[in-house]
Amino acid sequence: MRKQFKDTTLELAGKDDKVVVILGDISHFLFNDFQQKYPTRFYNMGICENALISITAGLSAQGFHPFVHTITPFLTERSLEQIKLDMGYNRFGGNIVTTGASFDYAWDGATHHCYTDLAILRLIPGMEVTQPGNKQELDTLIRSQYKNGKPTYFRLYDHGHTVAMPIEFGKGVALKDTGAAVTVMTAGPILTNVLEACADLPVNLVYFHTLKPIDKELIARYRHTKIIVVHDAFGLHEAINEVPDLRTVYHGLPDQFCVWYGTVHDIRKNIGLDPAGIRAAIQKRIND
Amino acid sequence: MTPACREIRKNILNASRTSGHGHIPTSFSIIEMIAAVYDTMKHDPKNPQWDERDIFILSKGHGALGFYAVLAQHGYFPVAELNTFGAFQSRLGCHPDRFKVPGAELSTGSLGHGIAVAVGMALAFRLQNSSRRVYTLIGDGESNEGSVWEAVMVASHLKLTNLSIMLDHNKSQVRSLPIPNPAERFASFGCDTIEVPGHDLEALKAALAKPAANVRAVIADTTKGYGCPTLSNNVFEWHRKSPKPEELEKLMGELNAA
Repeated sequence: MRKQFKDTTLELAGKDDKVVVILGDISHFLFNDFQQKYPTRFYNMGICENALISITAGLSAQGFHPFVHTITPFLTERSLEQIKLDMGYNRFGGNIVTTGASFDYAWDGATHHCYTDLAILRLIPGMEVTQPGNKQELDTLIRSQYKNGKPTYFRLYDHGHTVAMPIEFGKGVALKDTGAAVTVMTAGPILTNVLEACADLPVNLVYFHTLKPIDKELIARYRHTKIIVVHDAFGLHEAINEVPDLRTVYHGLPDQFCVWYGTVHDIRKNIGLDPAGIRAAIQKRIND
Repeated sequence: MTPACREIRKNILNASRTSGHGHIPTSFSIIEMIAAVYDTMKHDPKNPQWDERDIFILSKGHGALGFYAVLAQHGYFPVAELNTFGAFQSRLGCHPDRFKVPGAELSTGSLGHGIAVAVGMALAFRLQNSSRRVYTLIGDGESNEGSVWEAVMVASHLKLTNLSIMLDHNKSQVRSLPIPNPAERFASFGCDTIEVPGHDLEALKAALAKPAANVRAVIADTTKGYGCPTLSNNVFEWHRKSPKPEELEKLMGELNAA
């Protein structure tokens, strides 16, 4: 998905001289061709995430459409106040693009895990928050939103899903609507595991790539069903519950640090977010 | 002290007395610095959004009353409006809001933000091949923030000669984490650094006008509460205090004598 990010911004930079890329010393080899083609609009600015966000705001203030990119927890959790004030409160837009979502850096341990980013960023007034599930979604959402004048978050993943579907910013997708009494709601690449988990189960399945604004109209259509939200981060469950009078349960992260290494798949399995764990949770919801 | 800077300080005292708010000592330490910027930079009080204007960012947003008083002196809004400082529906909050204050380019308050946004704006002007310049004023207390030094490192690495960083070295941080030799510190980060008596308007203007080989750091040696010994000798008592009528009279007298 990172390569798609580079490919999309490279193409946009050719059409739009307001596109500027700022890296926090990550993905710089990937952006070699961007740097060679647009050297004055490429900055590997160093490992200084607070400054990166404020500088992004300053570029935006003077008419540019900056993309700022580095590892998820360092750019979002560490720099939350810069995003809140310099971009949000001051209404200077810009594109925050992170890599290392949830447990993509499983082997690096809990310092490199990040699962609060979506939840905290969607609380900032005026912010748009996306969790593209694969390359096509990322490409479509960036092209649609990169010059919207608002702080906009794109969360990259290493293991995207392969489901083709219509993609429109702010719109969820009903992937399966059988009139079932239980609805599974999910977002991002974990869709791969969710699909495997519930392939033969009597459930509806609703998918989101945009968490803010959340598609309330689509959610409300399933108000009469029992809802289970399956997500490998915080933020989706809270967003869905902006719609009143829902009956939701959350199947996702435990209230503990995931202090193991290995791969994202190892950690997902350990916390019940592998297909078997998700299937068990959905079956329990069916039988509630 | 120039007559204009004395007048600005009197307006601050009156506004603080009327409103009940105000960081007076810190506002008094930055008057000449901000006045020097507004005497130097391209700006138009009748058209605060003029496309060709230079940018000033008060990174130490708690100096807002001093900032507003200079803006009012230049005609951005009536001096009488200073008396609404901090009131519920006032445009003039205790930290500046760029959507409310004519002439304010950034809403600041949390320390260590404005200087880095200023770096982004200076980079933007370079990319636009524009001659517009950026000025930002930071405090010595603010310089405890790591983000200040992140911003300085990036600015000097990019050689942003269109950016001037002004340090209000009023020594407020003797109480906690002082920077013993700020000129040396900024120079070691790559800045083209000048030390200036912080209440000498002409020296400040000369420092800002001088061509720089890299991002310019103006280290202004200032005094909290400058012009009023009652304030400068009791900065902790007066850190965030509004004068009573008899205190106002005394402070005005001290200003007249300064």
